Amino acid sequence: MKTILAKLFRNPYRKQIVFEIEDELHFHIEMLERKYVQDGMSAAAAKAAALRRFGSLEKAMKQCVDIRSRNSLRRRVLKASLIILGVIGLSIRILSTERNLDHMGDLLIMIAIAGRLLLYVRGLSPSTFLSGTDETCPSIVTPRDNSKLRGA
Amino acid sequence: MANERTDLLQGTLELLILNTLARGPMHGYGIVQRIHEAAEDLLKVEDGSLYPALYRMEARGWIKSEYGVSENNRRARFYKLTRKGQTKLEAERANWNRVSKAVTRILQAT
Repeated sequence: MKTILAKLFRNPYRKQIVFEIEDELHFHIEMLERKYVQDGMSAAAAKAAALRRFGSLEKAMKQCVDIRSRNSLRRRVLKASLIILGVIGLSIRILSTERNLDHMGDLLIMIAIAGRLLLYVRGLSPSTFLSGTDETCPSIVTPRDNSKLRGA
Repeated sequence: MANERTDLLQGTLELLILNTLARGPMHGYGIVQRIHEAAEDLLKVEDGSLYPALYRMEARGWIKSEYGVSENNRRARFYKLTRKGQTKLEAERANWNRVSKAVTRILQAT
């Protein structure tokens, strides 16, 4: 049962997602390196400066993979299917006059709720519980030397 | 030069990205460079944190991405504004102007 559930909810495109994100982030770092080399830095110094300016590659990577996985087409289809299943179950429950059909409706509703809960739990990450880590704007910094501001 | 993290209003980075993409499709590096150039180093976007914002915005349908060829002939993901993103940009611009006017008035009054 556990294996079936794991297979059902595992994203088969995760490797592809990780590869694409890695490629994109490395492209950014390569462009930074190129810029620093053009500015006169040595290759090693440019690489170090690019990595410093980029910030935590691992953190960015993890956040991006989480966001892409949460919003994958497969996951959205699964969510929609569970909602439809729940609505069908509820309709059966309301409209049916036979006890057997009532049980069928209950079963569909339970499957829909359990599936939705499972999807929700699997989509949780520490950032969900830490306010400000995902949605606020910690990504903008201003130079401490604000002479430009004074001069403006 | 030492930098100071600034707590700006929520959604500021998204507004900057939408505004930058209004000029045309761009890859992530291009977006950051354009923001830095426009801000004349008064404000810097941490490069690594741009991408989670881009992915969130894509999930919300404000931007969409497709692969293209960069200026150095490398495959890169280019982002462009959607119609929904254009509407969001106009709303966010208006909101920003309203808030900044209000804050300026308060600061001048005290």
